[in-house]
Amino acid sequence: MFLTRSEYDRGVNTFSPEGRLFQVEYAIEAIKLGSTTIGVRTSEGVILGVEQRIQSPLLESSSIEKIMEIDAHLGCAMSGLTADARTMIDHARVTSQNHAFVYDERIKVESVTQAVCDLALRFGESVHDEEAMMSRPFGVALLIAGHDELGPQLYHTDPSGTSVKYEAKAIGSGSEAAQAELQDKWHSQITLEEAQKLTLRVLKQVMEEKLDHHNVQLAQVTPAGGFKILNETELKAAIESV
Amino acid sequence: MSDTVTLAGPQQRQFNPYSDNGGTILAVAGANFSVIAGDTRQSEGYNIQTRYAPKVFRLTDKAVLAVNGFAADGNMFVKKVKQRLEWYRHAHSKDMPLRSIARLIQSMLYGRRFFPYYVYNILGGIEEDGSGAVYSFDPVGSYERETCRAAGAAQSLVQPFLDNQIYFKNQVAAPGTSHPSHLPLSDVLALVIDSFTSATERHIEVGDGLEIFIVLARGAPIHGLEAIQGIQEMTSNAEGERVFIVRRVLKYD
Amino acid sequence: MSIMEYNGGSVIAMVGKECVAIACDLRLGNQALGISSKFEKIFPVTDKLYVGLPGLATDVTTLKELFRYRVNMYTIKEEREIEPDTFAHLVSSTLYERRFGPYFIEPVMAGISTTPGGKVKPFIAATDLIGCLNFAKDFVVAGTASSKLFGVAEGLWEPDLEPEDLFETISQTMLNAVDRDAYSGWGTMVYVITKDKVIQRTLKGRMD
Repeated sequence: MFLTRSEYDRGVNTFSPEGRLFQVEYAIEAIKLGSTTIGVRTSEGVILGVEQRIQSPLLESSSIEKIMEIDAHLGCAMSGLTADARTMIDHARVTSQNHAFVYDERIKVESVTQAVCDLALRFGESVHDEEAMMSRPFGVALLIAGHDELGPQLYHTDPSGTSVKYEAKAIGSGSEAAQAELQDKWHSQITLEEAQKLTLRVLKQVMEEKLDHHNVQLAQVTPAGGFKILNETELKAAIESV
Repeated sequence: MSDTVTLAGPQQRQFNPYSDNGGTILAVAGANFSVIAGDTRQSEGYNIQTRYAPKVFRLTDKAVLAVNGFAADGNMFVKKVKQRLEWYRHAHSKDMPLRSIARLIQSMLYGRRFFPYYVYNILGGIEEDGSGAVYSFDPVGSYERETCRAAGAAQSLVQPFLDNQIYFKNQVAAPGTSHPSHLPLSDVLALVIDSFTSATERHIEVGDGLEIFIVLARGAPIHGLEAIQGIQEMTSNAEGERVFIVRRVLKYD
Repeated sequence: MSIMEYNGGSVIAMVGKECVAIACDLRLGNQALGISSKFEKIFPVTDKLYVGLPGLATDVTTLKELFRYRVNMYTIKEEREIEPDTFAHLVSSTLYERRFGPYFIEPVMAGISTTPGGKVKPFIAATDLIGCLNFAKDFVVAGTASSKLFGVAEGLWEPDLEPEDLFETISQTMLNAVDRDAYSGWGTMVYVITKDKVIQRTLKGRMD
């Protein structure tokens, strides 16, 4: 794609003659630089797992936040420009709380995903004279996990504002190998515990460093317990069981 | 030039955006059904504007809304609620649950806290768990789930009667027995009709016609409903919740 | 502030089969503040005729005494007990005397009379505060809970009730109506008048 670079990769909302939006495509490229992130859906709940790259021994690993809560029944893992994700997750949280306020019910996973995707396409939008609120597409992809009346679900969103539902999905630098492994190992009868092990095992395979409780983070969304990031003891136990 | 001089004193003008169009509404919840009723007279002062102006509206297959007070506000409000339900259907690909409609109505009413819709709302229907439910609202959105509620011109006539006949207030159950928490549909229909004939007898703003909506829970038995004279089904899917309407004449005087 | 709601209180009377009933609440208030729960508003006129006087408390006392005085004068002059319908007209003319400075009372009467042939005739009547008579065949109501009393009575009452059934009907009507009225309640008193006895009962109800 880089061979066809031209002046059409300047404006964020200008199509190239071949019908492409280069800035959006470049944004999708940014995700491939991000750390590997995995989501696995089971009938008992959804597992989210991320690799946390520790660039320096002086870095406090707990300060890297790559899995975040959207609501009690919704969680989110990210890969790419994680700073951009804060805007998106903030939007998702507001949407979810507003839905609960107006409708007295939990928002559906699909609906909150759609709300995030709507935001993803707001770049370059401006009202007559005013400056656009967002100047470029988001450089991050999200795995949104949640539970609603349709059961546990996992969605993937990217900077183009597309959302797709998955049984298991990997994003980030190691995503190609990880996705192939997930495709091989995932089955419809998989339990939550097996999904947890699968997530760690796949992460282990694609990570350059040795996997331990400092450079990985796990979370789950279950019908009973809702969204929860595993604490250190739980994480250590999970790693040991692999 | 005229030799009389008029000094203009202070003048006051006022526009009153509200009026009271009379009428009464009423709803009762059963274990697996809900009954929502209203008379059809619309009046202003001692004038009858029309003998048939519906105050009860089907929102979805499991929700019916009765609106009483200022008719113009009432009709506009129902229109806006229906619009929001349609938007919700498109955004979330399902019908809005009853408790969500109740909360939405609160939001919409409170949104006009400083220029309210001059209406009392009663929402009846079937909850997600299949139970019959009634929600009542004040004009600025304060709301509550109840078993029965009357509102409008004859509220003061009907509500104490319902307290007695539905909540069994001031009645003591025979030793070893207890009052039922929900009445069967036939009893509820009889009480609703009695309430409106009583209100028609003693209140000038109530009368002309009566519209009774019955919402049946998914899979609930028909309870001999087909035997009711003039009953019409408004839904086409017997698998889901079902809505029926019964019309009765009330006195014209 | 309406003067008719200053002290609160309600009265109802009903016709039954060869019997009548009359009931009142026991509250005396000063607008929203409750003052007494022993304030009776029904008074005997003869042993088969009772009058209920809901309205401004000071006028309740005044009118009670005024009617006692006028009924006594009638009895002495006529050398017979006053008939219910005669008393109703006495009440009416007494109130109309004060057409432009009325007593703030809406009297309710209930009694039975016996015809020379021995037939028992139930009688109820009510007037407004200037004495406009209302001879109803079913029930009459007055006081701060009147609209509630109308609604419940219209739903519960039926013709030709026996004394015990009439008692139940008037009691339920009163109790449920005053429970929805902030200015009435705090106890209820019921009189059922038959040709050979008067049953008087004080009912326990909600005291809030």
